[in-house]
Amino acid sequence: MAMIPLSYSLRSLMVRKATTFATAFGIALVVFVFASVMMLGNGIKETLGASGREDTAIVMSKGAQAELGSTILQNQVGKIAQMGGVAQGENGPLAQAEMVVVITHPKVGTSGVANVTMRGMPDNWLKFRSEARIVAGREPKPGTREVVVGRAARGRFQGFDIGKSFAMVENQPFDVVGVFAAGGGSLESEVWGDLEVMRTMFDRPGLVSSVHVRLMTPGSLQAFKDGFKNDPQLREYEVERETKYYEKQANGLGQFISFLGYAIAVFFAVGAMIGAIITMYGAVATRQREIGTLRALGFSRISILLAFLFESLALSAMGGVIGVVAAMGMTTVKFSTMNFASWSEVVFRFVAKPGTFQWSILFAMAMGLVGGLLPAIRAARMSPIKAMRGSSRRRGWHPGRWLRWLRRPPRCSW
Amino acid sequence: MSDAQAEGKAADEAAKNPPPYRTQPESPAIVSLVGVGKTFFRGKEPVKVLDGLDLDVPEGSFEALMGPSGSGKSTLLNLIAGLDRPTRGKITVAGTDLTNASDRTLAKWRSQNIGFIFQAYNLMPVLTALQNVELPLLLTSLGGAERKKRAQTALRVVGLEDRMHHYPRQLSGGQEQRVAIARAIVNDPKIIVADEPTGDLDRQSADDILTLLEKLNKELKKTIFMVTHDPAASERASVQRRLDKGRLK
Repeated sequence: MAMIPLSYSLRSLMVRKATTFATAFGIALVVFVFASVMMLGNGIKETLGASGREDTAIVMSKGAQAELGSTILQNQVGKIAQMGGVAQGENGPLAQAEMVVVITHPKVGTSGVANVTMRGMPDNWLKFRSEARIVAGREPKPGTREVVVGRAARGRFQGFDIGKSFAMVENQPFDVVGVFAAGGGSLESEVWGDLEVMRTMFDRPGLVSSVHVRLMTPGSLQAFKDGFKNDPQLREYEVERETKYYEKQANGLGQFISFLGYAIAVFFAVGAMIGAIITMYGAVATRQREIGTLRALGFSRISILLAFLFESLALSAMGGVIGVVAAMGMTTVKFSTMNFASWSEVVFRFVAKPGTFQWSILFAMAMGLVGGLLPAIRAARMSPIKAMRGSSRRRGWHPGRWLRWLRRPPRCSW
Repeated sequence: MSDAQAEGKAADEAAKNPPPYRTQPESPAIVSLVGVGKTFFRGKEPVKVLDGLDLDVPEGSFEALMGPSGSGKSTLLNLIAGLDRPTRGKITVAGTDLTNASDRTLAKWRSQNIGFIFQAYNLMPVLTALQNVELPLLLTSLGGAERKKRAQTALRVVGLEDRMHHYPRQLSGGQEQRVAIARAIVNDPKIIVADEPTGDLDRQSADDILTLLEKLNKELKKTIFMVTHDPAASERASVQRRLDKGRLK
């Protein structure tokens, strides 16, 4: 099959610069939203999903969706640490009980407040949380109200910086002495301090939220789980691999944001496709004589159809590239939102991956395909004689006719 | 039997037994129309444009068709060029019966047998002269280099070798029409159909174009069928015909 030169389609787009760029801009806007949503989804997965280790299990009370809603008796912690499959360190089993509370605290730069997770941990927390390290300042001293703030939370809330303090209870301020990093995960949006001090301050005597246990190997999880079945006192607790737990945390929020974002993208996409349809119908209408001539020369209907479809696809690809490049700018932006699993604010980045761009361009092309199909069919169905006369009005829907109907003078019946 | 059916039957019989008054050409006819009729519909009202038309165009001739507006000149040209099909009668052009050919068959046939010259030149404004001339060759199996070479040759024939990379907007009307002629001859068609080729040109440019058409007819032995309103253009053709109210005079 003979193809009409691609240069014909591409140069024809450039002839109508204003409408071409207006349509491409509309598509770019949609692609920008689409790519941003994908990048945010990646960011959420990376932030929440990046937390946790394969060889670590988390124990929480049955039915608790997150550590915040879990309670474990302190006197059960020792028993949990002694169970099969738990790795041994120099000072005994590698297990750590932690307490999680959520506080409401004023943000910097706004008049609003947001929830922040505070995590109380025992003295040796840096050894157990090997993914965490102090990146500024120093570790808090055990038994004091000294705390360290996560890298992502630093500076986002009042008093969340080294040398500053913030109070949850009057005259009992927490002093910020350091900043920690934790592999870019959600933990970096938290504040960590001494377990006993926090238990006292938040009135949780004899309770912890979770127990984190280092397994001998990642495959030791089942052996560790089996121990819970055999002990009636431990049956009210649940065990999960840490990575799996954080993945679940990511899914809820990720799906919610993705659904919201994609819904907006689809809503915009409808508008952009209507723009593409109108542009391409305009192209067909103004180039009737050219279409007629090409048909007279012997080009088939399918060649005409493909030429106009290619034009539409080129237009949408142009919009797609602009949208993707604009979305790249979002990688420098940080975004904070409430994680409904932990009821605390988590800071995310927009993370670009090769798939993001491929899907975004494909999405743009899909818009071009759908938007260009009807005008291309109209062009292909033109009679060469009528097209060359420039009077190939066909029956059926056409935006020009619809616009004329909208602009018709009002009819007065009085 | 309805009128239309009766006319159709008569046309078929006419096709089998050509009337004795038809002049037999010296060369074999490259275009042969027998009892051809064309009826359009304006709403539900039939408008008979051509009525029982017989025509033989000998191979290698240069014919001009004149007639008042609405006489059916362009309709006849479209039928000969395979752009349209008759309502009744039979059309054979370059040895092919076009009467009932499908759209696809006609398109392929046109690309191999017909060269078009239009009043408004009908060049693609976004393509250069060379690319415009190359268009019909895209419908052949020729490679890119060969296509380019032939397009250059065609432009040389019309005297535009120095304007190959110019866009139509950079050319004068006469030059644009010469590019259109180059496009018409590039695939070496048997017949060139020209619809008012000098209609949009000044006298000097029109004369140049007609001289070029004469040259194509005499030197390259192209059969040219030209519709025109211009008596001066008509005089340059070897045969003049007149169409009035759908009938040849």
